[in-house]
Amino acid sequence: MQKTNHSDVVLSVKNVKKQIGGKPIIKNVTFDVYGGEIFGFLGPNGAGKTTTIRMLVDLIKPTSGEITICGEDIQRHPEAALRSVGCIVENPEAYSYMTGWDNLEHFARMQRGIDEARIREVVAIVGLETRIHDKVKTFSLGMRQRLGIAQALLGRPKLLILDEPTNGLDPKGIKELREFVRMLADQGMSLFISSHLLSEIQLMCDRVAIISRGEVLAVGTVDDLLRGTDNYVVWQFEQPDAGKRLLAGERDVRIVPGNEHRIDESVLAGMKDAQITTMNQDRVAALVAKAVRAGIGVVSVQSIAPTLEQLFLRMTEGESIG
Amino acid sequence: MDRLLPLIQNETLKIWKKKRFFVIVLVLLILIPVFTYAQLRIAETNKKNFKDWHNQLVQQINEYQNMLSSDRIPDEWKRSRRIAVQQLQYYLDHDVNPNSPDGVTFTRSFMSNAVTLFFPLLVLAIASDLVSGERTSGTIKMLLTRPVRRWKILLSKLVALTFYVSLTVVVSGVLCYLISGAVFGYNGWEIPVFTGFVIQGSSIESSFVHAVPQWLYMLMEAGLIWVSSMTVAILALMVSVLVRSTSASIVTMMAAVISGTILSSMSSSWHSAKFIFSVNLQLTDYLAGSPPPITGMTLGFSLLILAFWAAVSLAVSFSVFTKQDIMN
Amino acid sequence: MRTLSSANLWKFIGIAAVLCTVMLLAGFGYAVKDMLYPKSEAYSGSEDLPALPAGGNLSESKEINVTAIGDSLTKGTGDSSGEGYVKQLVALLKTKYPDTAVRLNNNLAVNGMKADQLAKLLDTDKGYRFALRQANLIVFTIGGNDLFQIAAGASPSRMTGELKLDKLQAELPQGLDRLDAITKRLNAINPNAHVVYVGLYNPFYDIGDYREGSLQIQKWNERAYALLHRYPNMSMVPTFDLFENTISRYLSSDHFHPNHNGYAQIAARIVQSLE
Repeated sequence: MQKTNHSDVVLSVKNVKKQIGGKPIIKNVTFDVYGGEIFGFLGPNGAGKTTTIRMLVDLIKPTSGEITICGEDIQRHPEAALRSVGCIVENPEAYSYMTGWDNLEHFARMQRGIDEARIREVVAIVGLETRIHDKVKTFSLGMRQRLGIAQALLGRPKLLILDEPTNGLDPKGIKELREFVRMLADQGMSLFISSHLLSEIQLMCDRVAIISRGEVLAVGTVDDLLRGTDNYVVWQFEQPDAGKRLLAGERDVRIVPGNEHRIDESVLAGMKDAQITTMNQDRVAALVAKAVRAGIGVVSVQSIAPTLEQLFLRMTEGESIG
Repeated sequence: MDRLLPLIQNETLKIWKKKRFFVIVLVLLILIPVFTYAQLRIAETNKKNFKDWHNQLVQQINEYQNMLSSDRIPDEWKRSRRIAVQQLQYYLDHDVNPNSPDGVTFTRSFMSNAVTLFFPLLVLAIASDLVSGERTSGTIKMLLTRPVRRWKILLSKLVALTFYVSLTVVVSGVLCYLISGAVFGYNGWEIPVFTGFVIQGSSIESSFVHAVPQWLYMLMEAGLIWVSSMTVAILALMVSVLVRSTSASIVTMMAAVISGTILSSMSSSWHSAKFIFSVNLQLTDYLAGSPPPITGMTLGFSLLILAFWAAVSLAVSFSVFTKQDIMN
Repeated sequence: MRTLSSANLWKFIGIAAVLCTVMLLAGFGYAVKDMLYPKSEAYSGSEDLPALPAGGNLSESKEINVTAIGDSLTKGTGDSSGEGYVKQLVALLKTKYPDTAVRLNNNLAVNGMKADQLAKLLDTDKGYRFALRQANLIVFTIGGNDLFQIAAGASPSRMTGELKLDKLQAELPQGLDRLDAITKRLNAINPNAHVVYVGLYNPFYDIGDYREGSLQIQKWNERAYALLHRYPNMSMVPTFDLFENTISRYLSSDHFHPNHNGYAQIAARIVQSLE
């Protein structure tokens, strides 16, 4: 596992446990997030992602363990620790009876050193200039999401925590978010992004922690963790039938029937007439050339990760083997 | 402390923008004319039947005296009538009309009648969802993940709540005066009102009775109303911290307030009921010299009980709010 | 869209609320001070007695104001309609003097009132004096409770024990002294009004042993007449004859007070006695 400079730890979580009503919800969570990286927090629904995130931002007190943000213990100095954090926990909430601007002013007043110029700046960053003076109850989910991000960015945080940020976004919105997140990271911000979709994490994150049943199974770079996982190659042709015939004619390409593949449906939702195959990724370029020669237009070729469950299956198998 | 002011600003603006105060003003604008009209009808009837307020007062005293001579009336009730007779007699003896038909007198009696039920309900409209509302909307997550200690958040909510309780009391008085004055006339500020009746058993000790101009009486009355409304507000804040849903919080507080009002009217034999906060809300009665719901209650006692309940609620609110896990 | 910016709105609400709070706190502080450390301070209101009505004939006065005082008879106890003789009297006066405004000023009768209590009230009670001064017709009944209570040793309306006739006789002088005091005070308060005293009757006329009581009642009525006779504006109407042979028609079920018809007869007699 490759690690960046240790002095640059923005978020450190050590042996954090949480019991609720005597029942262990979080059994043992340990990881570090470094400056300027996009850190994925991957786990199926109910694995303890949200509980962990709530502990990071002092909404829930851990039963034991230590969480520090920029060197400040969240329990002992919550004010100092939270100063470096912007977050959206679960849904992006806002006071629906106030305008977007009033909401931002509200949260700006809760922190030192945020003036009107900064509010205007974050509004511009998320691109809400035209609607910011409307009541939040008239906002679409996407706009609320932007408002939530604007709110989280107000205090120029060193760490931005986003809980399932792609929920409810259309493919275009997801793509924009991905670019946006990358831009923030390039400016030196660390991002902590939770998701239950492996494909999403894969595309967005530098490093990832995988959590299941309240325990972190692995922490590492995405490539490390996904090595050995066979991705699907998903094709879209201008002439779907001709394309399908072409693929069927290749000996080392297997077309996966619609009910057999393990890709999250939400990922496939925007792709019309997609052909899902398993094949050697090195052969993709040659096959595209062949299709073009045959007069079949290739709309897109994507490598898509299987669902998380498959990864878990492999990880637990790996454990049992050795 | 400098960080507290912006927080208070936040909470004050939120309550305003939630339009809670508009609702209160609207309720007042609907109810006050109704009561004014009812009072107008009473005044018209009296005008028809009595030549002069003296005659009306004399007749009222006479009616009470006749009730007192009846054997069927419970002793407790007789006691309060006997005290009322003595007070009316005092007014009569000093040539002061206790029910002068003017805007100020109407406002005074409206405010005093509103203290046990009406003002608590208005206060609940603001206080009940202060915390539970943030929970319902999920905004509490945003609120508590900002770099501000939780006790400051709750304190700012408490201060904003105090602001609106004050505004509610004052605006009620002003609206009542403006609306009823249009019918009864805008005078009556200087009319003397007697206070300082000391109740001893079923008779009143009048050696401390003195007259205050009605405007001063109203000011004192409003101050007492404010104290009992604040107690309700602080209790409602606690319930709002403890209960997840706003409607549950409103229902809980309404039940407490209403049961107190019922207890006040029937609990003469259950003496321990005097330790319940809602039995002690009618502070204005001490000013007017009306007999307390339970024998032996005094202004000092009631203030002590209310202060105790408020202090306990504040302690519970702050300790729970600063420690609890926000799970939803 | 935004008529008032948030900052200005906050300033406005904040300042208004702080001012209100300060004012209310001051009011509360003053109330506590005033209640816990009361300063006694005599308040003397302005004496505000109404002018006496003009004397003379009722028929010639512009309006007739009736004030009734006394005991349960004036209250109208026993009349299921609640009118008693007073309200019926007012109604009769209205028909008799159609051009004059007739109003009942006050009916200040109290059940169980005795002559000494009434005398004291006339002495001390401002309300009584006020209501009596306004009137140009005063009607009253008194004495029944004094006599029968003494005789029965209890309130007459729930009399169960023996009625002692000798005691009745013994107490007559004291009762009449009180009536004397009442007439004096009435005259002092309002010398211009017509005063009508309704005489006593024996409610036990039909009960064999107590029929003798009528003699004592008549003695009272005779002496009472003598007391009233001193004042030219005072008169007395007799009622004893109504409750002898027709007692079952005019007495209510408590066997002490008249019923509606009995009161109607009393009212009719009062009207007859006025010119």
